[in-house]
Amino acid sequence: MVGRLATLAALIGLAGCAAIPNDTTVQAADMHRVWAVFIVAGLAVYVLVGGLILWSALAYRRRDPSVVQANAVHKNTPLEIGWTIAPIIVVAGLFLVTFPAEQHVENMVKRPGEVVQVVAFRWSWRFVYANEHVVVQGTTGSPPELVLPENRTTEIRLTSSDVIHSFWVPSFLFKRMAIPGIVNAFDFTPERAGVFMGRCAELCGTYHAHMSFTVRVLPADQFARWVRARSAA
Amino acid sequence: MSAVATTAAAPPRRLVKHGILGWLVTTNHKQIGILYICTTLVFFLIAGFLADVIRLQLAGPQQNFVSPHTYNEVFTLHGTAMIFLFIAPFGFGIANFLIPLQCGAADMAFPRLNAFGYWLFLLGGLTVFSGVFAAGGGASAGWYAYTPLSDIRVSSGIGQDLWFIGLTLTSISGILTAINFLVTPIVFRAPGMTMWRLPVFTWEMIATSLLILMAFPPLTAAFAMALMDRHANAHFFDPTRGGDPVLYQHTFWFFGHPEVYVMILPMFGVITEVIAVFSRKPVFGYTGLVLSAFAIAGLSMGVWAHHMFTTGAVNDPFFSAMSFLIAVPTGIKFFNWIATMWRGAISFETPMLFAIGFLLNFLVGGITGVMVASPPIDFQANGSYFLVSHFHYTLGGGSMFAIFAALYFWFPKIWGVKLDERWGRFNFWTMFVGFNVTFAPMLFLGMMGMPRRVYTYPAIPAWHDLNLLASIGTAIITISVASFAWNVIVSSRKREALPEDPWGSAYTLEWATSSPPPELNFDSLPPIRSKRPAFDKHHPELAHTSPP
Repeated sequence: MVGRLATLAALIGLAGCAAIPNDTTVQAADMHRVWAVFIVAGLAVYVLVGGLILWSALAYRRRDPSVVQANAVHKNTPLEIGWTIAPIIVVAGLFLVTFPAEQHVENMVKRPGEVVQVVAFRWSWRFVYANEHVVVQGTTGSPPELVLPENRTTEIRLTSSDVIHSFWVPSFLFKRMAIPGIVNAFDFTPERAGVFMGRCAELCGTYHAHMSFTVRVLPADQFARWVRARSAA
Repeated sequence: MSAVATTAAAPPRRLVKHGILGWLVTTNHKQIGILYICTTLVFFLIAGFLADVIRLQLAGPQQNFVSPHTYNEVFTLHGTAMIFLFIAPFGFGIANFLIPLQCGAADMAFPRLNAFGYWLFLLGGLTVFSGVFAAGGGASAGWYAYTPLSDIRVSSGIGQDLWFIGLTLTSISGILTAINFLVTPIVFRAPGMTMWRLPVFTWEMIATSLLILMAFPPLTAAFAMALMDRHANAHFFDPTRGGDPVLYQHTFWFFGHPEVYVMILPMFGVITEVIAVFSRKPVFGYTGLVLSAFAIAGLSMGVWAHHMFTTGAVNDPFFSAMSFLIAVPTGIKFFNWIATMWRGAISFETPMLFAIGFLLNFLVGGITGVMVASPPIDFQANGSYFLVSHFHYTLGGGSMFAIFAALYFWFPKIWGVKLDERWGRFNFWTMFVGFNVTFAPMLFLGMMGMPRRVYTYPAIPAWHDLNLLASIGTAIITISVASFAWNVIVSSRKREALPEDPWGSAYTLEWATSSPPPELNFDSLPPIRSKRPAFDKHHPELAHTSPP
């Protein structure tokens, strides 16, 4: 039965890894690795502990209904010290996986290739390319498009003009809150041209569900052409 | 110890009034416990009905079963009721009934304060719900009501005020109740009942009460500031006047994370007692179980900002490391529970089934909890259905399963009625299957990018399938809850006199008195010479094996 549980866990693991979007930015590659490590470690713990629970429940089921006490064992100090230390080692290992990835994702390059100011409002987004004098603004009914250059680092300067929102591009495995009064800066480097879904991930009122946008990552030359066309308009 | 002496010596006196008036004026801990349990179960049914509305709306993409605004009200009230009006106060109810019995006391240390706490709680709950009938409807800013969404310019309705005021009342009620839970086991223990003989459940309530005393006042402060912002232009959280919306999040989660443990520590106590009774062994690792409760309580005071990784305003590595560490004392508990079952003589009465269900579900909640404590994972999981699934595995698959274990386990003691085992098994299996069918798909929905708190979603085939599956699971849970209600009705009809210990191997002191107990709990107290006074009383030939 433990074998069957392990097979099931492996299938869930595969489905889990497949459910997480493919690598799309340099930073997402790091985060995807963290996801993979935690899914594998988590499933291993589930199979081990869940297996122990089920096995001890079934193996030691009462066979003689007149028994009131199986035995009176109630402590085993070496064992208890052992299972205190084991999880400390596991979580220390997980922290060593987490920390560098987190630093890499949150550290920002000094000279980004592109800077976009993002203003969230109920219930849409405004994208301001200040250096190029390009502004893209959506409405609740027609979501805007955030156009980004491929293989160049874009710095996002995120804020909100009313309540708290959250800027989320699931394919980039990343979100950050848009908080009024604060400019929240972060960057990412898209590695793959394409169109991705983006949306608000923090409850912001009635039409929160419709506060979406699309991200279009273009090769550098096409991005330059898009900027020229927009700034001319 | 004077209270205990009174218990043993005094002739039977009629302290408990009967009839409706009796329930209104009671200061008896058992009646107050029953009031809490019944009230919280009513709130549970309402909150569960709201969950059905949510899952009906989300069964397919782009449905219009409820309006977007109504949907926000529905999930706000669902979360608020489940957390503030069901899970935590159910723990208060069962603890109210059990703590004096487990200590060998006649009542709580402060019975009037105890009664006041209950009525304040009820008033708070009704105040929150009354918002539904107010102009502009009930609160709709979610169960944590972030500012500025919950401020007067955005949420102008009186429903939001009633929400803040009602929950402030329940918060004060919790503080008053915690004082009783702390003082009673420390001061009113029967002769022989040393601190290190107290049942693990009572220890868990002591740890819970310390957490309440540290965490609930900041919540009260946060809500008071939010109300002042709404009505007195205080601008605590208003960025246009030098205030800071992130401050609200800090004060709220400084309460909010300990609150998670206020909802789970009592249930760890329930699970410990149930597993030991049905494994027919003493609790394994008593000291480890008690100390780990305090380790969890202590650590939980230093992890609040893991709810705020995506604000960009907190020290991510610190809060991540602290959160990971909670896995250590939680792991200790799991291993002790497994060791209690190890080489036992286990029978699977309904409380034990729910306890094993608790272990398997809470394990998922714990593992996904370690995952979301990693910032690179949280950047995706936060605000998504992954998170929704995670905390439902801890509070639904965990706490709610333990609540059903507690109801089946202590029903004979509280009401003198043993619930039917066949309906109990039906109740468990439908709950276990329904729960996992509902919440496992949500892990994948979250990873794929579905945000929480949306009334509709795009017609992506995989999203539709998984949401439909979750809705089917919720229908199964609904059937399961109905079967519990039916079980209560059916079982109550065939009353029979029950012995002190209807399970045959129970050991804590409440099982050494009649079912239900007399007004002052014990007609005569048994000698307390070990951690298992009831077991020693009923099985004197095995008393020498009881842990001292």
